[in-house]
Amino acid sequence: MKLTRRDFFKISGAATAGLAAGGLGFDFAPVEAYAWELRTKDAKETPSICCYCAVGCGILCHTDKKTGKVIYTEGDADHPINGGALCAKGASSYQIAQNDKRAQNVLYRAPNSDKWQVKKWDWALKEIAKRVKKTRDATFVEKNAQGQVVNRCDGIASVGSAAMDNEECWIYQGMLRALGLFYIEHQARI
Amino acid sequence: MAGKSIFVDTTRCTACRGCQIACKNWNRNAASATKNLGNHQNPPDLDGNTFKLVRFSEVENEGKVGWYFFPDQCRHCLEPPCKDTAEGYVNESVIQDDATGAIVYTDKVKEAPFDEIKSSCPYDIPRRNARGLAVKCTMCIDRISNGKKPACVSTCPTEAMSFGERDEILKLANERLAALKAKFPKAQLLDADQVRVIYLVVDDPKKYHKNAVASLERGNRRFAAKRVIDSILRV
Repeated sequence: MKLTRRDFFKISGAATAGLAAGGLGFDFAPVEAYAWELRTKDAKETPSICCYCAVGCGILCHTDKKTGKVIYTEGDADHPINGGALCAKGASSYQIAQNDKRAQNVLYRAPNSDKWQVKKWDWALKEIAKRVKKTRDATFVEKNAQGQVVNRCDGIASVGSAAMDNEECWIYQGMLRALGLFYIEHQARI
Repeated sequence: MAGKSIFVDTTRCTACRGCQIACKNWNRNAASATKNLGNHQNPPDLDGNTFKLVRFSEVENEGKVGWYFFPDQCRHCLEPPCKDTAEGYVNESVIQDDATGAIVYTDKVKEAPFDEIKSSCPYDIPRRNARGLAVKCTMCIDRISNGKKPACVSTCPTEAMSFGERDEILKLANERLAALKAKFPKAQLLDADQVRVIYLVVDDPKKYHKNAVASLERGNRRFAAKRVIDSILRV
C-alpha cells in the first residue's frame, strides 16, 4: 500500500502530511502503516484564558512560528480550572483570531436618522473618543455641594463587557476611573 | 480485539456541543448552512462539514417530558460495512488503521458510489463534502496516533466521553452500566461488541435517535441481523 504525500493532504485536509512508511517488522498481513502527524507539531504553544464567561478556562493557543498566526486552539490540559475541557464557545475561540465572516466595517446611525451608514473602524473609534471627551468635560464635577473635591463624571455609565478577559477588564475600568466614572458595571454581575 | 475505543455516557452529556465545535476546529470544517428545526439541534443533520452532531430529542415518558442528548458520530465498526462496500469498487479507499482500529476514508473513496457507501452504513453517518468526497469522523487519527485524545473527547467538560484502550473502555462502560441499572432498568450499551464508539443510554435507543443502534431498515443488514440472532439466542 502506497499513500503519497499528496493523497494524505487530501484525506485529512490537514496542513501537515504523513507518508507511507514501510512495514512494522512483520509481513504476514497487508500492513498499512501511516505516519500520521499532528498539524500542530511545529506550532508554538501559548497558554491563555478563555475570553467568554467568568469560569476562566485555560486555552492553549497554537501559533505558526513563521507567520505568528493562530492555527489551532484547544483546552489547556494543565490548567486547574478546566483540565483541558472547553464548552462550545470556548472550543470556537480559534475564530476570534481567524474569521473571514468578521465585520470589516461599522454601521452608524446618526442622531434622529433612520438610515444606517457604513463607516470605517478608525472613524468610529475617533468619533467615540471625541464624544466621550465632550460629555465627560461637560458633566465633570470637581467639587460636591459641601465643597469637597470629588473629581467625578456623572454623565457617563459603563455596562459590559462579557467578552473581555480579566486583564482587559482591569485596563478598561482603570481608564473609566481615570475619566471620573463611578457608574461602572460588568456583564458578569448583571 | 485490540485498538482504541470511545465511551459516550449520554447520562453525563449536557448537550453543550463543545465536542461538535472541537471536532470542527480540529478538522478545520467550516460552518454549515443551517435552519431552525424548533429545537436546539444545529445544524439539522450531519453534513460534509459536521462529523459530529449533538442530537436533541424530546420524548414523552408516561406523561412527562424527557429530553435526550445523543452526540452522534461514526462508530468505527470492528467490521465496517462501508469499507466492504467501498473496497468492492476501489482498493484502499477506506483504511482500517492497524494500531487504533479507526476507520478512515482516503481520497480514493471518490471513485466508489457515494450512495452505496452511505446506505451501507448501519448508522447513516457518511456525508459528502463540498468536493464531492465521502467524509466522516476519523477518530482524530492524526491526534490519537500521536498520543492525544480525539478533539471531542478532550474538550468534553462533563467527562461524558472517554477514550482509551478498547478493553479498558469496555470495562469502564460496563461498570457505569452496572451503576446505572438500579435506577434505570432500561440502561444499555449500544452495539458494544460490534463498534468502537460505545454509547450508554438509559431508555429505548430509538428515543434518542432513529439510528442510535444498527438499523434493520438500512443497507448492509449484517449488524441488524446479528442483533436479531443474538436476541433469539438469548431467549
